[in-house]
Amino acid sequence: MADLDRAIAQLRACRPIPENEVRELCHKARELLIEEGNVVTVQAPVTICGDIHGQFHDLMELFRVGGDVPDTNYLFMGDFVDRGFYSLESFLLLLCLKVRYPDRMTLIRGNHESRQITTVYGFYDECLRKYGSANVWRYCCDVFDYLALGAIVLGASNTLSPSTGAGGGSSEPIPPELGLTEDDIEIEVRNADGHIMSRFPRQERARRAAAAAAAAARRSNSNGSPTNGAAPAPPEREVVVSAPSNTGPPGSGASGSSGGSVGNPAGAVLCVHGGLSPLIDKVDKIRLLDRKQEVPHEGAMCDLLWSDPDEIDGWGLSPRGAGFLFGADIVKVFNHRNDLSLIARAHQLVMEGFKEMFDATIVTVWSAPNYCYRCGNVAALLELSEDESGLGTYARSNGDVNRSDGGMGDGGGGGGGGGGGQRGVLAENELMSLRMRPGPARRYRVFQAAPQDSRGMPAKKPVADYFL
Amino acid sequence: MSALQKKWAKSAVLLQQQQQHDPTAMANLHTLSEEDPFSTQSQSDVDWFMVRGEEEGEGEGEGAASPVDDDSSSASSMSSTGTIIPSPSRSLFARPQGIRARSTLEQIPWTTYFERELFLPSQGGKGGVTHHAYLTFPVGGGGSKRGPLFVMHHGAGSSGLSFAVLSSEIRKRLPNAGILSLDARGHGSTTTTTTGGQGEEGVDLSLDTLATDLYDVIKLTQATMRWEQELPPIILVGHSLGGAVVTHLAKSGRLGGALLGYAVLDVVEGSAMDALQSMHTYLSTRPSGFRSVKDAIEWHIRSRTIRNSVSARTSVPGLLVDTTEEQVQMGRDDKRPWKWRTNLAATQPFWEGWFVGLSKKFLEAKGAKMLLLAGTDRLDTELTIGQMQGKYALQVFPEAGHFIHEDLPEKTAIALVDFYRRNDRSQLVLPPKVSELLAQGKRV
Repeated sequence: MADLDRAIAQLRACRPIPENEVRELCHKARELLIEEGNVVTVQAPVTICGDIHGQFHDLMELFRVGGDVPDTNYLFMGDFVDRGFYSLESFLLLLCLKVRYPDRMTLIRGNHESRQITTVYGFYDECLRKYGSANVWRYCCDVFDYLALGAIVLGASNTLSPSTGAGGGSSEPIPPELGLTEDDIEIEVRNADGHIMSRFPRQERARRAAAAAAAAARRSNSNGSPTNGAAPAPPEREVVVSAPSNTGPPGSGASGSSGGSVGNPAGAVLCVHGGLSPLIDKVDKIRLLDRKQEVPHEGAMCDLLWSDPDEIDGWGLSPRGAGFLFGADIVKVFNHRNDLSLIARAHQLVMEGFKEMFDATIVTVWSAPNYCYRCGNVAALLELSEDESGLGTYARSNGDVNRSDGGMGDGGGGGGGGGGGQRGVLAENELMSLRMRPGPARRYRVFQAAPQDSRGMPAKKPVADYFL
Repeated sequence: MSALQKKWAKSAVLLQQQQQHDPTAMANLHTLSEEDPFSTQSQSDVDWFMVRGEEEGEGEGEGAASPVDDDSSSASSMSSTGTIIPSPSRSLFARPQGIRARSTLEQIPWTTYFERELFLPSQGGKGGVTHHAYLTFPVGGGGSKRGPLFVMHHGAGSSGLSFAVLSSEIRKRLPNAGILSLDARGHGSTTTTTTGGQGEEGVDLSLDTLATDLYDVIKLTQATMRWEQELPPIILVGHSLGGAVVTHLAKSGRLGGALLGYAVLDVVEGSAMDALQSMHTYLSTRPSGFRSVKDAIEWHIRSRTIRNSVSARTSVPGLLVDTTEEQVQMGRDDKRPWKWRTNLAATQPFWEGWFVGLSKKFLEAKGAKMLLLAGTDRLDTELTIGQMQGKYALQVFPEAGHFIHEDLPEKTAIALVDFYRRNDRSQLVLPPKVSELLAQGKRV
């Protein structure tokens, strides 16, 4: 461990470690990752992060804002490498932390964690430049193949725990005229210093108005004034959908009798880099994939890493040339079927750092501020608090532990088939107003790019000489 | 770090020795080492890459091993971040193509690639134009049932034959595809009658005119070929200036539903605008004339302007005119009578107009979009954001030069055919919407 701690210290200083140490590290990481299932189970509290893209100094800023490892439990949703100038240091640091604190660090695969993409977008070149050979690139690519494809967060709370990140527990009181308590807050947005930028209460009826206000607040937040989105809202018809009847960990599709997920009042959160796939209707189907390979050009594994949500009905062709677009109906049905309250994903640059869509059933988290050192965006991370109601917890499991039946929900086989089918039925009028279960309380911390150290930055390429 | 430095010193020595063996690589190496002394760093670490030098490199052999088969010149854009790449060592082994004694520099006629050529007179703009285009028919039933038509627009100073080799590669993979590759006004065999002379200064090369020309050629081809009901599904493909032209036409929406998508080859507003400043310097380094067509072909290959000798032998002859007679009439004895057909320097007034607003139009126009680049560092901020938001497909071929489609016709064809297949409406079957399932009484 002493070696590992020294390597971590060296990488934190943004200095690469020697090739033989990389080899050893990657070997250890692979042994660790091979034990993980395609979908890792993570227990809240957890801090969820999106794309990093080799922006090492911004990763350091992320750790400053979100808290250091192992004090904070992190989940990174892929795209660690490419584009930025320090892919190597960023990825190796995350990997070291993974090996050092396996239960406090979860890494899942992004579409850039692939041989083909890294040869074009910078990571390969960077390894050559820093080591003079492609060996390190190869070791890293071998690790990529073992990264999990997704994660399920369990035990997230409906209420926010006091802030512990940067700025400590700066708890600003809610204006009394709103008649709200801390427990009513569903969404809280803080800046890099821990000051509250905006808060949105959890009132089902106020949801629509709050979401609209949230969007407006995010737009107007450049001046940093705290905003409260508690405008009175028109009453909204709520259709109560009978609770899904399964007892396994939410998202596992395991079904039983006790109506919902004990100890998990906020529902489970699925984390995946890109999004959904038409070939995946149950989280369990992700578990069945053979992930230990280069990211394919099509199929379920490709879609999970490449797809994007979009304001459409159903499925659409992705302009990216890989994966699909999927609409609100797809997300809502998927969440309902899998007893999820939220999908967290990365993959798309959002200028405000995070973006909730489809009545907060899916959120994009982006953690690379001023992407490519020029896009001018801010970054965000998402904190989910631990549910402290004591209603039971699940141990972190790497495989399919905790599942009450082994079969696919609709695969015939066990008794799960019937239950799964039954709860899947929705009438058309229910679909549009479907709200599975109240989502977990979400605290976003928004941060800017760290002051950039220009050392080590390769000189700008001369412009191409012929461009007409 | 000192180990690395030692390695570098060692490699520099090794490099010098190599240079003495291979005079042709020397020029490239010089430019590179001036740019960056560390580019030779990996010289002594040759074990990791495959030596491809012995391959008959006619652009056919580029394999899946793309990271290692780069043989970039000083104009390379291999890296996305401007990182240093070990290209010198590679090009030492993979010698520049086409200058071996045994390789031929004979020109290849257009008939090898296209079924016919069209002369399409038109009265557009300020006078008459006779558009010249090469055509291979799309096969199949009428209208949208027909195979797709790839409509190609070349860059400034190039010609319709620039896409010849690419065309045959597309047909290999998509036998029912048609190809229409035009010569823009002032280029190739397209002639204008008002401003006197062929491709002289004074030709209107504004973006609007060129886009209208492209539209006219498509419509005139439709009339000539008697595709009566409707156009076949169209994929617009533009290289460089041509990319700006096809984007402009796509944004105008004039092709309506026939336009399936558009592909832009190696041009981005930001980097093009940057490059314009150095354009005159670049142009002044080109020879003003050649002794023969063979000479011109050799220059293109040797200077690595075009890195595929087959394509160079096809496209270069169209770039030149023989001025021997004029020279004789004027009593001069020019040793280099083959002159550039298009005076690029004279087109300068149009340059900015070609590229301003290109990124925005590219993102906004309707239809599937693909951008093929020779390096990711060519993306500007707008397209970087667009790409990371998933608004278009990006393919990068770091081992190619600016003439991507000539350097790597096979890879470019694969990308274009995949692009078409993905967006082919007749084949497209998406999973059903939830509301449709519900309407059918299915459980969701």
